[in-house]
Amino acid sequence: MSTLLPAIGFGLVTAALLAIAAVGFTLQFGITNVLNLSYGSVLTVGAFIAYLLAIRGVNIWLALVAAGAGGAVISMALNRLIFAPFARRGAGLFGMIIVTVSVQLVIEYGLQAAFGVNFMSFPGIDQGPTIHVLGMVFTELQLIIVGIAVVAMIIIHLILQYTRLGMAMRATATNPSLARNAGVPTKRIIDATWLLSGALCGISGVTLVLGIQSFDFTIGQKFLITIIASAVLGGIGQPYGAMLGALTVALAGSIVANYTSSAYNEVTAFVILIAVLLVRPQGILSEVATAKEVVT
Amino acid sequence: MNAGFQLYLATLVVYFAVYAIAAMGLSIQYSYAGVVNLAFIVFQAAGAYTAAVLTLGPDTRIAGFQTYILGYELPFPIPLIAAAAVGALLSSVVGVIALKKLRRDYQAMAFLVLSVIATDLVTNLKGLFNGQAGLALIPSPLQNELGLSYGDYHWAYAIYAVVLTALVYGVCRWLGNSPLGVSWRATRDNETSAAALGKNVARVRLSAMAVGGALAGLSGAVLVQFITVWEPNSWLFPETFVLFTSLIVGGLGNSKGVLLGVLAVPILLLQGPSFLPEFGRTGLVDSLEWVIVGLVTLVFLWFRPKGLLPERPRRLDKYRSKGLQALLRPRLNRDVGGPPA
Repeated sequence: MSTLLPAIGFGLVTAALLAIAAVGFTLQFGITNVLNLSYGSVLTVGAFIAYLLAIRGVNIWLALVAAGAGGAVISMALNRLIFAPFARRGAGLFGMIIVTVSVQLVIEYGLQAAFGVNFMSFPGIDQGPTIHVLGMVFTELQLIIVGIAVVAMIIIHLILQYTRLGMAMRATATNPSLARNAGVPTKRIIDATWLLSGALCGISGVTLVLGIQSFDFTIGQKFLITIIASAVLGGIGQPYGAMLGALTVALAGSIVANYTSSAYNEVTAFVILIAVLLVRPQGILSEVATAKEVVT
Repeated sequence: MNAGFQLYLATLVVYFAVYAIAAMGLSIQYSYAGVVNLAFIVFQAAGAYTAAVLTLGPDTRIAGFQTYILGYELPFPIPLIAAAAVGALLSSVVGVIALKKLRRDYQAMAFLVLSVIATDLVTNLKGLFNGQAGLALIPSPLQNELGLSYGDYHWAYAIYAVVLTALVYGVCRWLGNSPLGVSWRATRDNETSAAALGKNVARVRLSAMAVGGALAGLSGAVLVQFITVWEPNSWLFPETFVLFTSLIVGGLGNSKGVLLGVLAVPILLLQGPSFLPEFGRTGLVDSLEWVIVGLVTLVFLWFRPKGLLPERPRRLDKYRSKGLQALLRPRLNRDVGGPPA
């Protein structure tokens, strides 16, 4: 009992980190149908942008915003310059997977070439005083991270439900050609989707590093597994499902790790993913489980 | 040529053979059956570990040096066969789970995750294959029995690896033109039509998974008995991608293209830089190699998506398959009433 509550607390913080990334992943996959395995490397780029700014004395929260902006621009550029042209050339779902893995290799090992294999951490990060809540122990920084995640989720909710952009995004996700015929500028909506998911990805890169305190060039690729597990668990294209999925994956992971070893945290995510894929591949909230065409 | 360089050449030949066997296996899964097996390297690793624990002998021999399961000391061809069998078996199990139920882009996702998690598991379950440190001192086959010098043995091994590759090449060509191969391509080109013609699409894919897995396991055994060490870092996810790049560069769906791709990517591109003068800090060249592998894949997918040696469209009458012949031939009277043989 004594270690279970702190483990749950840790799980909640992880869930917050995970939710930001998983919502971005699921939005982009749900709308464009590109299984973007380079998502993790954009996350790593976000972490590096914040790191480079932070070691030059920029405030970490400003660096976080910059990482979000950087992630957004890089994601949209990747789609405009690489993914969309390949899709227009007729690279199917599979071709696109190979394309995204190539991009992942180029970005990730490009970063390794530039920065080496060392572990890095943001300078001058103060974890703040510890705060006890219901037997769980948080640092002030962890609570701020959870706060950022909650705010990000609320913003996503407001965008999707109450703006014309959100409506158009949901329409494009459901039926792109019908949306186009109904006057939705799908091209711009797709751009907006990549921007939004890239921003979430960049932000999550920074919050992730703030949470686990050190990182190297593989951080995104490692985290991608749990991101995918959350997104699939929630149902691809379902932002609320991804939030729920992140919560489940993170809590299950940290509880299992509490009773066994921290190494099994990731393995839990994997088991959950496989179980979901077998039992309910459409996820908790989604209705659709059939392959679609790539949308550009 | 000095002895060091000779040794290096022999090593390159073995690497070529290993990559070629593996790439032909992946080619069957990817180019023939359309399975994006991003966990392919896991099955090579499984073969390598199998061959290792079946030749190392009990782990109590050198106390506390390394721990692993099984620990037999079986004579030469058995570990090799066992490695292929384990590769096929594991592939089939994964295939049954992944291929039957999943939508096809989810399959790729499941395979990617499998690749990462398998590394995690083997690293953390230390009793299985000695964890992160990996296995060492894996015996090479017949090294003592042949009584060759160190250098000569390397060349003998290289020749043996090339002979194996030639065998695999022959089997792949034969399979590719056999009724099974026709089913593979039919399923790849048009799943619905293949199913409509009575092909059990899931089973056809599964057979490709099994054959590919056997070749992966075999390649792992050939590699591990040569390099004598095997650890989780030997089979990280990007290694699978090198094989994909080889297929894409060489040309999908034909074994000659696969061999050309293997020569171009893992041998020329990844081994070539060791001939260049050192530059940059340590590790820089390794990182750049992976960047180049990614770029080469993108460039080929864009400019030459069918690879250097494209798959030739095949004419039906070339097939000697009885089923197809029966379909093409005007029905004889005695055939009426039954399905085409």
